[in-house]
Amino acid sequence: MFLKVQLPWNVIISAEDLDAKGLMLQRSITIRLLDDFACKKATKDLGYFCAVTTLDSIGEGKVRQYSGDVLFPVVFSGITFKLLRGEILDGVVHKVFKHGVLLRCGPVDNVYLSNQKMPDYKYVPGENPVFLNDKLSKISKDVMVRFMVIGTKWLEVEREFRVLVSLEGDFLGPIS
Amino acid sequence: MSGEEEENAAELKIGDEFLKAKCLMNCEVSLILEHKYEQLQQMSDDPMNQVSQVFEKSLQYVKRFSRYKNPDAVRQVREILSRYQLAEFELCVLGNLCPETVEEAIAMVPSIKNRGRALDDEAIEKMLNDLSLIKRFE
Repeated sequence: MFLKVQLPWNVIISAEDLDAKGLMLQRSITIRLLDDFACKKATKDLGYFCAVTTLDSIGEGKVRQYSGDVLFPVVFSGITFKLLRGEILDGVVHKVFKHGVLLRCGPVDNVYLSNQKMPDYKYVPGENPVFLNDKLSKISKDVMVRFMVIGTKWLEVEREFRVLVSLEGDFLGPIS
Repeated sequence: MSGEEEENAAELKIGDEFLKAKCLMNCEVSLILEHKYEQLQQMSDDPMNQVSQVFEKSLQYVKRFSRYKNPDAVRQVREILSRYQLAEFELCVLGNLCPETVEEAIAMVPSIKNRGRALDDEAIEKMLNDLSLIKRFE
């Protein structure tokens, strides 16, 4: 699910980027904020940082003693994406393995659907391996699948989530 | 796997950040991100270089999974769904997945049935009909 969030942030502007004209300062802060935001990628609580939408307020800058950089406390609004346990979502298959498939959902690449969580589907090997069930419903690369999230795990080092999903439930599976 | 074993969206047991923050439907995110992307295009010749991977992947995703494209339709969807005392989260799941039958709607958002609200099958049916009308006239 995408979330609209409002966050406080500290933006540091180096002395050479400071300009007497207020407009330029606002621009520097916005650019800096966008960079920081992109680097951060995700947090455990809010999920993936997709975009900054508005810069809501800029507080009073404080000069840092040794470098001469100025730190501005700002508040901005943005969009994040987080997967919840129990949530039902659509995703796109991008890899098929014998033991399951990997899906893409929003900014998340490693949404894992294990073959144990789609018990009626059988693996069919080949150049383009697929999972098939009795009703000839097919899960292969680039197929859109509706699934339920059964577990998420935050990986601090990679700054990303690992997500487990399942097809056990009504109205789940490939969609057209 | 999850540290907070209590969390379960099916029962609307979701973290504070979801109750406080505003949830957005894919179609709404699509409008916002595309607008953002256009702004960047005006500022630079190579806008794809200016955006993060997370932005790029999110944009691709919402373009593919938006049920409604036209901004007026997107507004109407939220307007219609907000008549039914749904939680923000439930509203967005329904707007994203567009269930066609009452049964499917309950399977997608089980909490609409068990929070002791007055949402009976008839009300759900009407809600789905209104949504499909928007889709048809878009």
